[in-house]
Amino acid sequence: MSSDDELAERLRDGDETALRMAYDRHGAAVLYLAQRLLGNRADAEDVTQMTFVAAWTGRDGFDPQRGSVLGWLLGIARRKAVDRLRSMAREQRTTATVQAQQPPPEPDRTPEQTVDRLVVADELSRLPVEQRRTLELAFFDDLTHPQIAAVTGLPLGTVKSHIRRGMANLRRRWEVDGATFGSRSAGPTRAL
Amino acid sequence: MQHLDPDRLVLLALSEELEDLSESDHLTQCDVCRHEMRALREVAGIGSDVQALRDLPPPPEHVWQAIEAGIARAPAPVAPVVDIRQQRARRSRPRWLTPVLAAAAAAVLAVAGTVAVDRFTGRAPAEEVTARATLTPLKTVPPNAGGDVRVLSDGQLRIDVRNLPLTTGFHEVWLLDPDDPGKMVALGNLSDQPDAVLPVPPGTDLKRYRLVDVSDEPHDGDATHSGRSLLRGTLTG
Repeated sequence: MSSDDELAERLRDGDETALRMAYDRHGAAVLYLAQRLLGNRADAEDVTQMTFVAAWTGRDGFDPQRGSVLGWLLGIARRKAVDRLRSMAREQRTTATVQAQQPPPEPDRTPEQTVDRLVVADELSRLPVEQRRTLELAFFDDLTHPQIAAVTGLPLGTVKSHIRRGMANLRRRWEVDGATFGSRSAGPTRAL
Repeated sequence: MQHLDPDRLVLLALSEELEDLSESDHLTQCDVCRHEMRALREVAGIGSDVQALRDLPPPPEHVWQAIEAGIARAPAPVAPVVDIRQQRARRSRPRWLTPVLAAAAAAVLAVAGTVAVDRFTGRAPAEEVTARATLTPLKTVPPNAGGDVRVLSDGQLRIDVRNLPLTTGFHEVWLLDPDDPGKMVALGNLSDQPDAVLPVPPGTDLKRYRLVDVSDEPHDGDATHSGRSLLRGTLTG
């Protein structure tokens, strides 16, 4: 599996197999976001298709300095989904009969939070195995550092340093690619 | 001021241990540590929330096929003739020039429109044909698309097309110089008609600009070639 940088470079060089690789790697996340935003599968698949086609035609505009391939794709997908929502709203105004649409999607999370989660999940999956494992035990199983040490057989100091480094990696990625970081860092806009 | 230990901040952010009084005091006073803590807390919060995303099902193959089809329809100009897209990307036209060119293009279209109306309302054509071309689809275009071009002795170019892919923009007709990529003459658009008569600008060297090109142009206000060629054919006299 090649790195994100290499993938980006091959994309910009017009290598179509790189687009396929991007689809294999990130298509699920794009589809997930689209489905959360649009609330139905058919539109979400359309938006996913449009996202990758737009990524291909706009590949010259991708700047790896400014974010990851996933962050870039999710940004495109959000814009496409918003366009689709607008045109759906227009249609609804003209043919007022389509009210049997879906309920407003995603009552529990904002689109920004969904992007944040996808980005962090992606970064988590790329961490070195031990960093990832210790963080998963902390996040998902709610284990304390000593419990993680006991479960994994790693020394407590090692567990601590894995977690600290893993957290630093996630945080960096979230700051680069996350949707909420920009607004959050500009001011205390979100309660903790 | 001594900042809090990074390991300790992580422990606090993961709520594994509670702040003691001196730490609470420090956090209320120190922007750096407070910011740090807030960011770590947020990341930890997101991290605890991503388990469901770990095993998303692979994206469906039929969506990939739709992507491939979309790409085939999209740009990628065709060898061997012109790589217009690259030319276009590299060429940076002075800002003032764009409205001038747009105005010029509008003038051309206005003339073309008038002429076309004249042609179709007027008498049957009896002019002499000085050059003709058969238009064939580029490989991204359905194979049943095509067209015919005749240049008449009075400098008009008559074009008939069939089975062009639908467009959300418009179809434009160009004369390209196959030996000098990026050099071209815009003749006008097809206005949703299967045939049109377009004036070739007087003085145009049809030996040089001999490649007829029909493109799909978006309504983007950019008067240059979109790079999406649909049909092409070479004029022979």
